[in-house]
Amino acid sequence: MKPTRTRLAFAAALLFIGLPLLLFARAPVPSRTLLKDSLSILTILAVALLLGQFFLARTIPAVQRAFKPPRVQALHRWIGYGAITVLLLHPFLIVLPRYFEPGVRPLDALVTMLTSFDTLGVLLGLACWLLLLLLALTSHLRMRLIKRFRISYRAWRGFHALLAAGFTGLALWHAIELGRHTGWLLGGFFALLAIAGIALLARLYLPERHRPAPQAEGLHI
Amino acid sequence: MTIKSIHGCIGCGECVQSCPCDVIRLDPSSGKAVIAYPEDCQICHLCRLYCPVDAIEMSPEKTLPVITPWG
Amino acid sequence: MSKSDRQDGPSRRQFLALGGAASGLAAMGLSAGWAENRPSVDAATVAGSEHETDVLVIGGGMAGLFAAVKAHDAGARVLLVSKGRLGASGQTPFAKGFFAYDAARESLSIDDFVARVSRSALGTNNESYTRQLAEHSLDRARELKAWGFFDQVLANRPFLKPITARDIPLMERVMITHLIKQEGRIAGAAGFRLDSAETVLFRARAVVLCTGAGGFKPNGFPVCDLTHDGSIMAYRIGAKITGKEWNDGHFTRADNPAACFDNWGDMFERIPGTTGIEVHHDLGVESNYVAYETGNPLPGGPPGSVGGRKTSGGPVTPQEFQRRAGGPGGPGEGGPGSGSRRDGPPPPPDDGRKPAGGAPDFAMNASQMGGASAGMSIHKSEGLVPMDARCNSTIPGLLAAGDALGSHMAGGIYTQIGSSLAGSAVQGAIAGEEAAGYAARSEQARITPARRDGILAEILAPLKREAGYGPAWVTQTLQGVMIPNFVLYIKKESLMRAALAYVEELRDHHAPMLRAADMHELRLAFETRNMILSAEMKLRASLKRTESRCSHYRTDHPETDDANWRAWINILQGADGQMVLEKQPFGSWPDQS
Repeated sequence: MKPTRTRLAFAAALLFIGLPLLLFARAPVPSRTLLKDSLSILTILAVALLLGQFFLARTIPAVQRAFKPPRVQALHRWIGYGAITVLLLHPFLIVLPRYFEPGVRPLDALVTMLTSFDTLGVLLGLACWLLLLLLALTSHLRMRLIKRFRISYRAWRGFHALLAAGFTGLALWHAIELGRHTGWLLGGFFALLAIAGIALLARLYLPERHRPAPQAEGLHI
Repeated sequence: MTIKSIHGCIGCGECVQSCPCDVIRLDPSSGKAVIAYPEDCQICHLCRLYCPVDAIEMSPEKTLPVITPWG
Repeated sequence: MSKSDRQDGPSRRQFLALGGAASGLAAMGLSAGWAENRPSVDAATVAGSEHETDVLVIGGGMAGLFAAVKAHDAGARVLLVSKGRLGASGQTPFAKGFFAYDAARESLSIDDFVARVSRSALGTNNESYTRQLAEHSLDRARELKAWGFFDQVLANRPFLKPITARDIPLMERVMITHLIKQEGRIAGAAGFRLDSAETVLFRARAVVLCTGAGGFKPNGFPVCDLTHDGSIMAYRIGAKITGKEWNDGHFTRADNPAACFDNWGDMFERIPGTTGIEVHHDLGVESNYVAYETGNPLPGGPPGSVGGRKTSGGPVTPQEFQRRAGGPGGPGEGGPGSGSRRDGPPPPPDDGRKPAGGAPDFAMNASQMGGASAGMSIHKSEGLVPMDARCNSTIPGLLAAGDALGSHMAGGIYTQIGSSLAGSAVQGAIAGEEAAGYAARSEQARITPARRDGILAEILAPLKREAGYGPAWVTQTLQGVMIPNFVLYIKKESLMRAALAYVEELRDHHAPMLRAADMHELRLAFETRNMILSAEMKLRASLKRTESRCSHYRTDHPETDDANWRAWINILQGADGQMVLEKQPFGSWPDQS
């Protein structure tokens, strides 16, 4: 048991922290001040860890076997709230450094940025921000929602997965459109993680939904 | 290289507007800023200072030989 | 910040070698000047728009801002048009000091101030405008303060505040190439947009030129968008131009001389502030003279000190305004950060007070390079000749303010710190009011269709040329002819005549054949034409002034000649199209002929 845990943790750290950092460093982009580069790293790690969430959703049997479910769930929660906070702050973190240096004032920069409606990437970013807010709020209030709308926990989980997958697609599109560091290297890596994660989720959910015998469907034609 | 590179452009056009020498233009297909006429850059950094996402990197070198009164 | 010190371009040695080839035109690294023109803009499909207003303000800097605001407040319909962005073009974005005469805080009266400026300027200043600066500067500073100008580095948003509050139409990125005179008075202006294939024609009762000064697109000073557009357009419709013989003597660093941001230290990133009375006599051609006499490299150091090198002769600074190394007020007074302006960089367009505790990182120990602002005269001392103290030019309905007006507010040398920016505000406000008054009592002069069509055809001509000369190449050729120290700064007759021969060739053979492939190059074509005429004016005025005074220095006439030269030099277009030069005694207004 122990070696598997260590190995899993090591693999996860490599995949969701090490590789993104390496690809960040390899991005053909000039480095900026320590503050700006730190904020870039923080954002990229938030995205990577958020992608990692797909792999903490009972999608990998090895993880399920190696760790106790409450521990996995706790990790999923902590990463979720942490990364979402960073990404909700992302528009503000972009203009934050202007507080400490001459040039356009942070609030002016923020307004310019958020009103550049001619740019697809900005519209995608705005949509992502709202989706992310929704994702965070629905997650936080999940018990009340389940009660209020009298839905099953499974239905809630499906909704959560769909929202997450939708957000991920739009967010990666946004990042590849506008990201300073998200070129084909980091962007491609993130896309691979997202595809793998969403595929695992699909494998987990879809068979359940389509369990009514496949042959039977044919008979209805 | 004067104005050297633009990374992470959001297509707001602030740099195009604020360049005194009309060096930068928005690419019609991508909607993003491109360094269209680098030889006319006067290395004043206004584009960099106006950029809301600090996407612009500058260099102190001109792309053209510099004519000076003595040498 | 994403400033980079990495040098991916040519090596330093290559760079210096190229710089050293200033007069060797062959080494310019440009493709042949003569080439087939393959326009991306089809001149036949260029659209045209027409606009009408009472007062047309051309230029979006400090002068243009106040001209538009005050003309509006005086009841006129105003339209503000600018080649660049409001508050982000010309020299306004880089000027950080604003002289505000506050009687409550100054020990000198306005009379004393004017007298001191006149002593430093050796009589070259127009006392009416010097006085006006002191009288109005505090009011303008207060208005700017209310708009937030003194709260941030960048001027665009503070400038937009009064413009949007008054709903004044603003057209940015439009280059004006022609002023239109009909029936002996101003009728409008015409030009083109940079962002679309479109000519623009304005009908206006009055026009205020706030187009700034200009240079030869020099290296090391943020004036490459200024090419004397206003004064050349005005000259071509009969206005008188003055002050062309003076030289702004700002310098840059020998390493990467074109990097004006880097060479100005943190100046461009400062928040503007106000300055009090501080009259000097500097930033003429003293350093140029030392470089001429002792050769390159010119050691670094504060302006005027020129690394402690001693030379005999050269430009004379009046006793009262001399600074000695180590003496009071001199460069030796305190090290960097002591608060004395003298350890700072030379002021950019207008210098401000240093922020508390911070010395600019201008490389005072690095070698200096002159000619940063080559082609520019002293602020406020070149441009349209005013016929009164209300910014009127010699053409009815045409006014000018700021660096476009040859008001000689400061004189032929830099005198009051921070007065350049303040002078633009003061004069802009006066010109705006005056223009509104003129527009109220005048009819719109009719622009005949033939005149309009002729002008629009002239605007588009470079796009239509199948072959011709590239504006960039012609500009570099002009720079190679004009920028050498021994032509522009340390003058003598033989070399000025030689340079004039080149410039006449460019004027007669190259300017008419400038080609353009797109709207950007069309702008360069007109800028190049304007620079060629400005170069001719500089040479002719410098040849005529057979003395040395302030920032005009001739090795063949090194003495100041008060008997003959207590006079300004005006240039106008003669009947045959040639430049005619005339003298206007100091302290007088021009002949109304």
